[in-house]
Amino acid sequence: MDTNPTTGLPRRSLLALSAVTGALTALPAFTASAAPQRPANSPAMPGSSAHELWWQAPADEHSMIEQGLPVGNGRLGALASNDPGRELLLITDATMWTGGLNDTLDSDGQFPYGRGDFGSLTLLARLTVDIPDHDLSAVSGYRRALDLDRGVVTTSYVRSGVTYRRQIFAGRPDDVIVLHFTQSGGGRYTGTVTLEGTHGEDAAVSFGAAFPNGLRYGAAVAAHGTGGRVTVSGSGISFSGCRELTVLVSGGTNYAPDAAKGYRDPSLDPQSLARTKVRDAAALSADTLLRTHVADYHALFGKMDLSLGTSSPQQRSLDTWERIRARARDGAPDPELEAAYLHFGRYLMISGSRGSLPMGLQALWLDGNDPDWMGDYHTDINIQMNYWMADRTGLSPCFDALTDYCLAQLPSWTDLTRRLFNDPRNRYRNSTGKNAGWTVAISTNPHGGGGWWWHPAGNAWLCTTLWEHYEYTGSREYLKKIYPLLKGACEFWEARLLTTTLPGTKQEVLIADSDWSPEHGPLDAKGITYAQELVWALFGNYCTAAAELRKDADHADTIASLRRKLYLPQVSPSTGWLEEWMSPDNLGETTHRHLSPLVGLFPGDRIRPDGSTPAETVAAATALLTARGMESFGWANAWRSLCWARLKDPEKAYQLVVNNLRPSTGGSNGTAPNLFDIYEVERGRGIFQIDANFGTPAAMMEMLLYSRPGHIELLPALPDAWAGSGFVRGVAARGGFEVDLRWRDGKPTEARIHSVGGRTTTVAYGDGARTVTMKPGAFVTLKDFAR
Amino acid sequence: MRSSSYSVMPARTLRALVVLALAAGATTAAPAAQAETTAPALAAKPYMGWSSWTMQSSKYPGLNPDGDYSYLTEANVIEQADAMAAKLKKYGYEYVNIDAGWWMDKAWKSGFDQYGRQKPDPVRFPSGMKAVADRIHAKGLKAGIYLPAGLEKGAYGDGRNPVWNADGCTTADIVYGDLRTTNGWDSAYKLDFSKPCTQKYIDSQAQLIAGWGYDFLKLDGVGPGSGKSGDQYDNVADVAAWQKAIAGTGRTVHLELSWSLDIGRVADWKKYSQGWRIDTDVECYCNTLVSWENSVDDRWDDTPGWTRHAGPGGWNDLDSLDVGNGRMDGLTKAERQSYATLWAIAKSPLYTGDDLTRLDSYGLSLLTNREVIALNQGATPPARPVTPSDPQQVWAAKNPDGTYTVALFNLADAPAAVTAHWASLGFTGKAAVRDLWNHENLGTYKEKITQALPAHGSRLFTVTPHGSALGTTAYEAESPANTLAGNASVADCSACSGDHKVGNLYLGGKLTFDKVVVDKAGTYQVKVAYISGDARSVDVSANGGGATRHKFPSTGDWSTVETVSVPVTLKAGANTITFDSGSGYAPDIDRIDVPKSSS
Repeated sequence: MDTNPTTGLPRRSLLALSAVTGALTALPAFTASAAPQRPANSPAMPGSSAHELWWQAPADEHSMIEQGLPVGNGRLGALASNDPGRELLLITDATMWTGGLNDTLDSDGQFPYGRGDFGSLTLLARLTVDIPDHDLSAVSGYRRALDLDRGVVTTSYVRSGVTYRRQIFAGRPDDVIVLHFTQSGGGRYTGTVTLEGTHGEDAAVSFGAAFPNGLRYGAAVAAHGTGGRVTVSGSGISFSGCRELTVLVSGGTNYAPDAAKGYRDPSLDPQSLARTKVRDAAALSADTLLRTHVADYHALFGKMDLSLGTSSPQQRSLDTWERIRARARDGAPDPELEAAYLHFGRYLMISGSRGSLPMGLQALWLDGNDPDWMGDYHTDINIQMNYWMADRTGLSPCFDALTDYCLAQLPSWTDLTRRLFNDPRNRYRNSTGKNAGWTVAISTNPHGGGGWWWHPAGNAWLCTTLWEHYEYTGSREYLKKIYPLLKGACEFWEARLLTTTLPGTKQEVLIADSDWSPEHGPLDAKGITYAQELVWALFGNYCTAAAELRKDADHADTIASLRRKLYLPQVSPSTGWLEEWMSPDNLGETTHRHLSPLVGLFPGDRIRPDGSTPAETVAAATALLTARGMESFGWANAWRSLCWARLKDPEKAYQLVVNNLRPSTGGSNGTAPNLFDIYEVERGRGIFQIDANFGTPAAMMEMLLYSRPGHIELLPALPDAWAGSGFVRGVAARGGFEVDLRWRDGKPTEARIHSVGGRTTTVAYGDGARTVTMKPGAFVTLKDFAR
Repeated sequence: MRSSSYSVMPARTLRALVVLALAAGATTAAPAAQAETTAPALAAKPYMGWSSWTMQSSKYPGLNPDGDYSYLTEANVIEQADAMAAKLKKYGYEYVNIDAGWWMDKAWKSGFDQYGRQKPDPVRFPSGMKAVADRIHAKGLKAGIYLPAGLEKGAYGDGRNPVWNADGCTTADIVYGDLRTTNGWDSAYKLDFSKPCTQKYIDSQAQLIAGWGYDFLKLDGVGPGSGKSGDQYDNVADVAAWQKAIAGTGRTVHLELSWSLDIGRVADWKKYSQGWRIDTDVECYCNTLVSWENSVDDRWDDTPGWTRHAGPGGWNDLDSLDVGNGRMDGLTKAERQSYATLWAIAKSPLYTGDDLTRLDSYGLSLLTNREVIALNQGATPPARPVTPSDPQQVWAAKNPDGTYTVALFNLADAPAAVTAHWASLGFTGKAAVRDLWNHENLGTYKEKITQALPAHGSRLFTVTPHGSALGTTAYEAESPANTLAGNASVADCSACSGDHKVGNLYLGGKLTFDKVVVDKAGTYQVKVAYISGDARSVDVSANGGGATRHKFPSTGDWSTVETVSVPVTLKAGANTITFDSGSGYAPDIDRIDVPKSSS
């Protein structure tokens, strides 16, 4: 078996790439921004219909999580109702976190997991714009849309012969959410703007307060209009007779990603800063703000595009929610809808992950202050899945938030591990008595704290996720940054691994100490496949990194020797599955949501169906995946799809995508009207979990292109539904390449491999493969593929 | 002024009435005379007015300060009559109806006269019932009063109470020997109309209220209905006796029956009365007047079976229209508009139970929208659903002038788009749409109109077609070309096309039309002719694809065919369309009509 998963990434190419992710210095979450770059005279680009989602009814105020449309600038996010008579925005900031370091363990040696101690993401503010005369019952021709090309939510309707339009967007350069109300036909806007906090603050044009954890937060609103009057009072803003109205809102916290400062910037007054931001934005026209936003947003969104085929005129005539329902009802592929779903994930990524904290279970989109599982960072699949699609869909810069987070938390994670992990009450403590490096709990917060149970292998999984980003970008600067994380995680496992002799042999192997394979089966199993696979990958990555950076040569040798002794899972003689525990028996739930024992298949590279992995291992992984079933929910389906794509089973991979596209009604698993993924946690109660909105697009990309350093495979799992014709443009491939690919009748017609640092790679399709070599910046075009 | 009734009134009665009329003074005489001489045929259109029960029944703060139902007083009734005259009369509202309790004290203890007839409570009505009617008439309005069915237990008086104007008859002579009870609350002894004295008792009650000058009687607790069934609760004879007794008074008195009348006896209700409550009380008996979920929303399911029975002379009564004050009503604006829309298009009587002195501006606009009132009061037929009773549903009626009344409803708890397809109305092409609530022409729409509706919201349109009749292809359910599964079977059906239908569609029973041919792929509004004595659901699918479950509204009985249109996505060429009962009970299917063009 291949023990070096990173062959093929040439060192020299990395130098050229350092600029790509050079600006990794962690910035405060909410800060005075530099003067924005304003497009000279860019036309406000028209959206294409393929990149537009639209609906014929506004959101219900009580169902915002399923129906509200998300906007966000990577830090500040909101759900908008788009009701003509009452626009409601539920606004939050990625750092709006209660709780703290949470370093007093419960009696079982695990972490408290409450909204006070561990904390929760919460809402920052509610903004309402009431226009009483525009009651929904009194308007006609209502339409709202999410323009994915421009990152703008639009609403239009007719009232008494006048067409009214509004646009909502969250601009990153100006760091404000903009609501721009216009009309044509002699109409007027009369109503009120109300900004309220969600933690007991009274309505006001600005407010500021602090959580018990000391985190200060604040928000501010401003409005200006033409042709009428806009009056500010203590509690809000009134407008009357306005031909046009602009409402601006901003806000944030004094969170700082710096453990040494207790994750606070004491010099920052969020209320004052928010007021400054809306005042500055109010000095600009709404059109200027829009153009600035669109230029900034589209620079990322336009990096990648794809077509999965052409939808029928009838499908195109349906609004997005009708289309989701028709897709499930009629069973006919709707390739444009499916591509739009992928782009919606990209929209969420751009809106949710730029320059602040990474996205947790719900990213920036909440409908209350009590999100399930605190809207936190779950380190046993969810946060990893959130970022699998970043590089795969041309959004490499959006990955930085995850890296920055891990780096900022590392001092706290190291401290907690050192002080608390070997607590005698902790069932997962190191029985060696040794303790080093860092690990995490299953849940983590942004204040250095963990929640719920210890998660020893969480460090390895975070590191392999960070490593994959390195494989895509090849940035040496980036590698230097994450190196301490890799090294600390290796040190943790050096202290933790146990030596055992395999029964009936004299072979000594290293196994992980007592652990829980997420999230089922025995709580105290040694050598769980999940940990063995992740540590095996971690150790390999560390050795590669040390060599690349010419550091820690001796230590890397030690780690490499440990790696050679790591136990790797066997095929169960009783079930034929890859074992999840060091046991031939199935000790958990057969159709459990997690695919923990398959981390070596995806996202790992150890198990490959290309002849390089023993056939019985591949067969055992396939058998286990088959047993897990096709009917799970959101992220679990996405993960299954990714695994089937790796196993080159296009129809199963596609069916799981289709399963996630089922309409969610009454809280059922599937896709909500706003395309958020809904997980039915209990009968009739569905909650939003964003991971599937990212994991499903990642799976779609994995069906179109597989890569690992030195190897690219075209259309590894192209389903019949997309086989007719299509293209992808701007897809990153591990090893330092970008791929543009066209296909027809299931076969590539043209593949263009651009080097973004990589020099040589094989490019495979079917049974054929060729090796291409080029200079960084150059590209090679391949045609004439034969299966 | 009493000439019209002179010939049929017994002498003693006439004298008594004249005395009463004179005692009330001259001011009442002229309006009363005017009302009588200009009155049209009874219930030529749904009546409009106000009823006291809504406020009596509510726990809204301040309404019933002296205990439950204490709102009902002479002063409050007069106050409402004054407000109605000032605000609503010019829009057609005319009846001021006193509901239950006028003969009960504040502890809800009944009072009766020596003849076992209900006696006004002197605290509630210190001036007496006639004086109140006179005051109402003086405003140019009509007065309504209330009685329960049967002989109230308190009126029995050991069977020795004489029946007024019935020599030798006592209360023992009008009930059954076993004193079996009747009405929706078992609060009365059942009247035995095989006995000659019994009609006399009803006559005596009728003479009493006619003598006071009442123009309207709500007879309550009537069965079968009012939550009861069986012979003991069969009050059809009571209702017939009331019709006869009213005729005997010579006064024009509208007889309205309550509540949840048995649709199986609708012929009797039509024969003897001018209106019948089709459902339970709309009130919530809570701290608002009504609530959406308590029973306002039930009316969308409960009305369709009754629709065809409404017409001049007798109407489906959906109960009070409590939309006048959002805070008191306990409803959103959208809910209030939907409530008013359904009542208007169903041709229900329009009587509000709101506090007319406290109507808010939106409530007043709902109650006084002349276009909507004209729809309810005009010569247009009642609307019924043209789509299944799904959360988003469309009701329509074809009007004599060729236009359509079209109402869109969104009964879901969240905003939703609702589409009315012209195909479901039977035509194709363009049509002009007028929005009645907003008094606005929305323009011309091709093949359909889609509007965003708020949660529990509605729109009400008049649609004027400019297209042509929709061509359709009929497929009979009983055709041998179809496939039946499970217990599904062909049955005789005289009301059905081809004299047959497919029934027994339950617990897996399934009907598949095996060869439905269309020229082009698309979504077709397939009109389904069906029979279903109660509302039933069925899974509809095409070509073996995913099914959509639709609830078909009740047709009221098992011998009447109605139609609804369901969207079905078909491919060009031959298709299958399946109606699957799934795990429940589905309607019987008569036929489907597939449009020649998609929507």
